[in-house]
Amino acid sequence: MVDGFKTWSEIVPGELRLTHSVVLTREAIARFARSIGETNPLYFDEEFARTTRHGAIIAPPSIHIYLIFACTPETDWMRTPGTINAGQVWSYNIPARAGDTIRLEARALDRFIKKDRLFVVHDNTFFNQHGDVICNGRGWTIRPK
Amino acid sequence: MADFELRQGDQLPTLVFEITRETIRAFGEASLDMNPLHFDDDYMSNSFGKTSFNGVIAHGMTGFALITRMLTDWLEPRQGIHRRLEARWLRPVKPGDTLRVSASVSRITERSDGYWITFDVAVGNQRDETVAAGEAMAEFPRRF
Repeated sequence: MVDGFKTWSEIVPGELRLTHSVVLTREAIARFARSIGETNPLYFDEEFARTTRHGAIIAPPSIHIYLIFACTPETDWMRTPGTINAGQVWSYNIPARAGDTIRLEARALDRFIKKDRLFVVHDNTFFNQHGDVICNGRGWTIRPK
Repeated sequence: MADFELRQGDQLPTLVFEITRETIRAFGEASLDMNPLHFDDDYMSNSFGKTSFNGVIAHGMTGFALITRMLTDWLEPRQGIHRRLEARWLRPVKPGDTLRVSASVSRITERSDGYWITFDVAVGNQRDETVAAGEAMAEFPRRF
Protein backbone atom coordinates (compact mmCIF):
# COMPACT_ATOMS: atom_id res chain seq x y z
CA MET A 1 0.00 0.00 0.00
CA VAL A 2 1.14 3.57 -0.73
CA ASP A 3 -0.78 6.28 1.14
CA GLY A 4 -3.56 3.73 1.71
CA PHE A 5 -3.90 2.93 -2.01
CA LYS A 6 -3.16 -0.46 -3.53
CA THR A 7 -0.09 -0.50 -5.74
CA TRP A 8 0.02 -2.14 -9.17
CA SER A 9 1.56 -5.23 -7.57
CA GLU A 10 -1.27 -5.51 -5.02
CA ILE A 11 -4.16 -5.22 -7.48
CA VAL A 12 -5.65 -8.67 -8.12
CA PRO A 13 -7.46 -9.14 -11.45
CA GLY A 14 -10.89 -10.62 -10.81
CA GLU A 15 -11.12 -9.42 -7.22
CA LEU A 16 -14.19 -7.29 -6.55
CA ARG A 17 -13.48 -3.70 -5.52
CA LEU A 18 -15.19 -2.36 -2.41
CA THR A 19 -18.21 -0.28 -3.48
CA HIS A 20 -21.33 1.25 -1.93
CA SER A 21 -24.72 2.28 -3.31
CA VAL A 22 -25.65 5.92 -3.81
CA VAL A 23 -28.88 7.74 -4.60
CA LEU A 24 -28.46 9.73 -7.81
CA THR A 25 -29.87 13.17 -7.05
CA ARG A 26 -31.15 15.82 -9.46
CA GLU A 27 -28.47 18.11 -8.10
CA ALA A 28 -25.68 15.67 -8.97
CA ILE A 29 -27.10 15.23 -12.48
CA ALA A 30 -27.39 18.99 -13.01
CA ARG A 31 -23.89 19.66 -11.64
CA PHE A 32 -22.36 17.05 -13.92
CA ALA A 33 -24.37 18.19 -16.97
CA ARG A 34 -23.40 21.82 -16.39
CA SER A 35 -19.71 20.90 -16.09
CA ILE A 36 -19.69 19.77 -19.72
CA GLY A 37 -21.70 22.76 -20.92
CA GLU A 38 -24.91 20.79 -21.34
CA THR A 39 -28.07 22.89 -21.67
CA ASN A 40 -30.61 20.23 -22.69
CA PRO A 41 -33.58 20.70 -20.29
CA LEU A 42 -33.98 16.91 -20.23
CA TYR A 43 -31.30 16.94 -17.54
CA PHE A 44 -32.58 19.93 -15.54
CA ASP A 45 -36.31 20.58 -16.03
CA GLU A 46 -38.80 18.04 -14.66
CA GLU A 47 -41.72 19.62 -16.50
CA PHE A 48 -39.92 19.43 -19.82
CA ALA A 49 -38.60 15.92 -19.12
CA ARG A 50 -42.18 14.70 -18.56
CA THR A 51 -42.99 15.59 -22.18
CA THR A 52 -40.18 13.40 -23.53
CA ARG A 53 -40.05 9.66 -24.15
CA HIS A 54 -38.20 9.35 -20.82
CA GLY A 55 -41.06 10.81 -18.77
CA ALA A 56 -38.74 12.26 -16.12
CA ILE A 57 -35.28 13.74 -15.63
CA ILE A 58 -32.52 11.38 -16.70
CA ALA A 59 -28.76 11.67 -16.44
CA PRO A 60 -26.44 12.06 -19.42
CA PRO A 61 -24.98 8.64 -20.35
CA SER A 62 -21.55 9.77 -19.17
CA ILE A 63 -22.83 10.12 -15.58
CA HIS A 64 -20.79 6.96 -14.91
CA ILE A 65 -17.77 9.30 -14.68
CA TYR A 66 -19.29 10.71 -11.47
CA LEU A 67 -20.79 7.44 -10.26
CA ILE A 68 -17.51 5.55 -10.40
CA PHE A 69 -16.13 7.87 -7.73
CA ALA A 70 -19.43 8.29 -5.87
CA CYS A 71 -19.77 4.50 -5.42
CA THR A 72 -16.20 3.80 -4.27
CA PRO A 73 -14.35 4.63 -1.03
CA GLU A 74 -11.62 7.26 -0.72
CA THR A 75 -8.98 4.51 -0.66
CA ASP A 76 -10.02 2.93 -3.97
CA TRP A 77 -6.99 2.45 -6.20
CA MET A 78 -8.68 4.36 -9.02
CA ARG A 79 -8.09 7.48 -6.89
CA THR A 80 -4.35 6.94 -6.48
CA PRO A 81 -2.76 10.34 -7.22
CA GLY A 82 -1.08 10.22 -10.61
CA THR A 83 -3.46 7.63 -12.10
CA ILE A 84 -3.55 8.29 -15.86
CA ASN A 85 -6.53 7.37 -18.01
CA ALA A 86 -5.44 5.83 -21.33
CA GLY A 87 -8.81 4.91 -22.80
CA GLN A 88 -12.29 3.67 -21.98
CA VAL A 89 -15.19 1.86 -23.64
CA TRP A 90 -18.76 2.03 -22.33
CA SER A 91 -22.01 0.37 -23.39
CA TYR A 92 -25.24 2.10 -22.45
CA ASN A 93 -28.35 0.04 -21.74
CA ILE A 94 -30.89 2.26 -19.99
CA PRO A 95 -30.65 5.81 -18.64
CA ALA A 96 -29.94 6.48 -14.99
CA ARG A 97 -32.80 8.49 -13.51
CA ALA A 98 -32.97 11.09 -10.78
CA GLY A 99 -33.79 9.24 -7.58
CA ASP A 100 -32.30 5.93 -8.68
CA THR A 101 -30.31 3.98 -6.12
CA ILE A 102 -27.17 3.05 -8.01
CA ARG A 103 -25.03 0.00 -7.28
CA LEU A 104 -21.61 -0.68 -8.79
CA GLU A 105 -19.88 -3.98 -9.37
CA ALA A 106 -16.26 -3.32 -10.21
CA ARG A 107 -13.02 -5.23 -10.53
CA ALA A 108 -9.65 -5.20 -12.20
CA LEU A 109 -9.71 -7.41 -15.28
CA ASP A 110 -6.04 -7.41 -16.19
CA ARG A 111 -2.67 -5.88 -15.37
CA PHE A 112 0.38 -5.73 -17.58
CA ILE A 113 3.54 -3.75 -18.34
CA LYS A 114 3.87 -2.11 -21.74
CA LYS A 115 6.77 0.15 -22.73
CA ASP A 116 7.75 0.29 -19.04
CA ARG A 117 4.31 1.60 -18.05
CA LEU A 118 2.15 -0.18 -15.45
CA PHE A 119 -1.32 -0.81 -16.88
CA VAL A 120 -4.45 -2.02 -15.11
CA VAL A 121 -7.69 -2.71 -16.97
CA HIS A 122 -10.83 -2.16 -14.88
CA ASP A 123 -14.37 -3.34 -15.53
CA ASN A 124 -17.47 -1.68 -14.07
CA THR A 125 -21.21 -2.38 -14.20
CA PHE A 126 -23.82 -0.03 -12.78
CA PHE A 127 -27.26 -1.27 -11.75
CA ASN A 128 -30.40 0.56 -10.61
CA GLN A 129 -32.59 -0.40 -7.65
CA HIS A 130 -34.48 -2.89 -9.84
CA GLY A 131 -31.32 -4.77 -10.73
CA ASP A 132 -31.37 -3.47 -14.31
CA VAL A 133 -28.01 -2.80 -15.92
CA ILE A 134 -27.61 0.92 -16.64
CA CYS A 135 -24.22 0.70 -18.29
CA ASN A 136 -21.03 -1.28 -18.37
CA GLY A 137 -17.55 -0.03 -19.09
CA ARG A 138 -13.90 -0.88 -19.20
CA GLY A 139 -10.94 1.40 -18.78
CA TRP A 140 -7.19 1.24 -19.31
CA THR A 141 -5.25 3.10 -16.62
CA ILE A 142 -1.53 3.73 -16.19
CA ARG A 143 -0.60 3.29 -12.55
CA PRO A 144 1.85 5.64 -10.79
CA LYS A 145 3.21 2.93 -8.41
CA MET B 1 -35.29 5.46 -40.87
CA ALA B 2 -37.17 8.39 -39.43
CA ASP B 3 -38.08 11.92 -40.45
CA PHE B 4 -34.55 12.55 -41.65
CA GLU B 5 -31.93 11.01 -43.90
CA LEU B 6 -28.56 9.77 -42.76
CA ARG B 7 -25.79 8.57 -45.05
CA GLN B 8 -22.31 7.22 -44.68
CA GLY B 9 -19.89 10.13 -44.40
CA ASP B 10 -22.43 12.54 -42.89
CA GLN B 11 -20.98 14.76 -40.17
CA LEU B 12 -22.80 15.71 -36.98
CA PRO B 13 -22.63 19.37 -35.90
CA THR B 14 -19.21 20.03 -34.34
CA LEU B 15 -19.16 20.85 -30.63
CA VAL B 16 -16.62 23.45 -29.45
CA PHE B 17 -15.58 23.61 -25.78
CA GLU B 18 -12.89 25.79 -24.23
CA ILE B 19 -10.86 24.28 -21.43
CA THR B 20 -9.93 26.59 -18.56
CA ARG B 21 -8.83 26.01 -14.98
CA GLU B 22 -12.42 26.81 -14.03
CA THR B 23 -13.91 24.17 -16.35
CA ILE B 24 -11.37 21.65 -15.03
CA ARG B 25 -12.37 22.45 -11.44
CA ALA B 26 -16.08 22.26 -12.29
CA PHE B 27 -15.58 18.87 -13.94
CA GLY B 28 -13.51 17.62 -10.99
CA GLU B 29 -16.15 18.72 -8.48
CA ALA B 30 -19.00 17.30 -10.56
CA SER B 31 -17.24 13.96 -11.04
CA LEU B 32 -15.55 13.82 -7.59
CA ASP B 33 -12.22 13.32 -9.40
CA MET B 34 -9.77 15.59 -7.58
CA ASN B 35 -6.59 13.89 -8.78
CA PRO B 36 -3.66 16.36 -8.48
CA LEU B 37 -2.96 15.79 -12.19
CA HIS B 38 -5.71 18.31 -12.76
CA PHE B 39 -5.10 20.88 -10.01
CA ASP B 40 -1.53 20.94 -8.69
CA ASP B 41 1.12 22.59 -10.90
CA ASP B 42 3.92 21.68 -8.46
CA TYR B 43 2.89 18.03 -8.54
CA MET B 44 2.75 18.18 -12.34
CA SER B 45 6.32 19.45 -12.60
CA ASN B 46 7.34 15.86 -11.71
CA SER B 47 7.82 13.23 -14.37
CA PHE B 48 5.49 10.24 -14.48
CA GLY B 49 7.70 7.40 -15.56
CA LYS B 50 8.23 8.15 -19.23
CA THR B 51 5.60 10.86 -19.28
CA SER B 52 6.05 14.54 -18.40
CA PHE B 53 3.25 17.09 -18.62
CA ASN B 54 4.75 20.40 -17.38
CA GLY B 55 1.54 21.67 -15.83
CA VAL B 56 -1.97 20.55 -14.99
CA ILE B 57 -4.02 18.67 -17.56
CA ALA B 58 -7.77 18.33 -18.04
CA HIS B 59 -9.53 15.11 -17.08
CA GLY B 60 -9.37 12.69 -19.99
CA MET B 61 -13.00 11.87 -19.36
CA THR B 62 -13.97 15.46 -20.18
CA GLY B 63 -13.48 14.59 -23.84
CA PHE B 64 -15.42 11.37 -23.37
CA ALA B 65 -18.33 13.28 -21.79
CA LEU B 66 -18.23 15.92 -24.53
CA ILE B 67 -18.51 13.22 -27.20
CA THR B 68 -21.57 11.73 -25.46
CA ARG B 69 -23.00 15.26 -25.10
CA MET B 70 -22.60 15.93 -28.82
CA LEU B 71 -24.14 12.57 -29.73
CA THR B 72 -27.10 12.74 -27.32
CA ASP B 73 -27.89 16.36 -28.18
CA TRP B 74 -28.26 15.21 -31.78
CA LEU B 75 -29.88 11.84 -31.09
CA GLU B 76 -32.47 12.75 -28.44
CA PRO B 77 -34.70 14.98 -30.63
CA ARG B 78 -34.54 12.27 -33.32
CA GLN B 79 -35.49 9.45 -30.92
CA GLY B 80 -32.10 7.81 -31.31
CA ILE B 81 -30.29 6.06 -28.46
CA HIS B 82 -26.58 6.44 -27.69
CA ARG B 83 -25.45 2.83 -27.16
CA ARG B 84 -21.67 2.74 -27.04
CA LEU B 85 -18.52 4.85 -26.98
CA GLU B 86 -14.93 3.73 -27.19
CA ALA B 87 -12.16 6.31 -27.01
CA ARG B 88 -8.41 6.48 -26.51
CA TRP B 89 -6.49 9.52 -25.28
CA LEU B 90 -3.68 10.48 -27.59
CA ARG B 91 -2.48 13.81 -26.18
CA PRO B 92 -3.00 15.74 -22.94
CA VAL B 93 -5.41 18.69 -22.86
CA LYS B 94 -4.35 21.81 -20.98
CA PRO B 95 -6.01 25.02 -19.79
CA GLY B 96 -6.33 27.37 -22.76
CA ASP B 97 -7.02 24.59 -25.24
CA THR B 98 -10.10 24.79 -27.43
CA LEU B 99 -11.60 21.37 -28.10
CA ARG B 100 -13.50 20.54 -31.25
CA VAL B 101 -15.58 17.38 -30.97
CA SER B 102 -16.60 15.74 -34.22
CA ALA B 103 -18.42 12.64 -35.42
CA SER B 104 -19.04 11.19 -38.85
CA VAL B 105 -21.20 8.27 -39.90
CA SER B 106 -18.95 5.35 -40.84
CA ARG B 107 -21.57 2.63 -41.23
CA ILE B 108 -25.35 2.14 -41.17
CA THR B 109 -26.55 -1.38 -40.37
CA GLU B 110 -30.20 -2.28 -40.85
CA ARG B 111 -31.56 -5.03 -38.61
CA SER B 112 -35.06 -6.35 -38.03
CA ASP B 113 -35.37 -4.27 -34.86
CA GLY B 114 -34.02 -1.05 -36.29
CA TYR B 115 -30.93 0.77 -37.52
CA TRP B 116 -27.52 0.78 -35.88
CA ILE B 117 -25.26 3.69 -36.75
CA THR B 118 -21.50 3.57 -36.25
CA PHE B 119 -19.65 6.88 -35.94
CA ASP B 120 -15.98 7.73 -36.12
CA VAL B 121 -15.47 10.24 -33.33
CA ALA B 122 -12.56 12.54 -32.58
CA VAL B 123 -11.58 15.41 -30.32
CA GLY B 124 -9.13 17.94 -31.76
CA ASN B 125 -7.48 21.04 -30.34
CA GLN B 126 -6.73 24.51 -31.72
CA ARG B 127 -3.49 23.22 -33.28
CA ASP B 128 -5.47 20.63 -35.26
CA GLU B 129 -3.93 17.86 -33.18
CA THR B 130 -6.16 14.92 -32.35
CA VAL B 131 -6.29 14.52 -28.56
CA ALA B 132 -8.80 11.65 -28.46
CA ALA B 133 -10.31 9.34 -31.05
CA GLY B 134 -12.61 6.38 -31.17
CA GLU B 135 -15.88 4.93 -32.29
CA ALA B 136 -19.47 5.31 -31.16
CA MET B 137 -22.71 3.48 -31.85
CA ALA B 138 -26.31 4.62 -31.80
CA GLU B 139 -29.59 2.78 -32.29
CA PHE B 140 -32.75 3.93 -33.99
CA PRO B 141 -35.34 1.32 -32.94
CA ARG B 142 -37.85 0.43 -35.63
CA ARG B 143 -41.29 1.82 -34.87
CA PHE B 144 -43.94 -0.87 -35.27
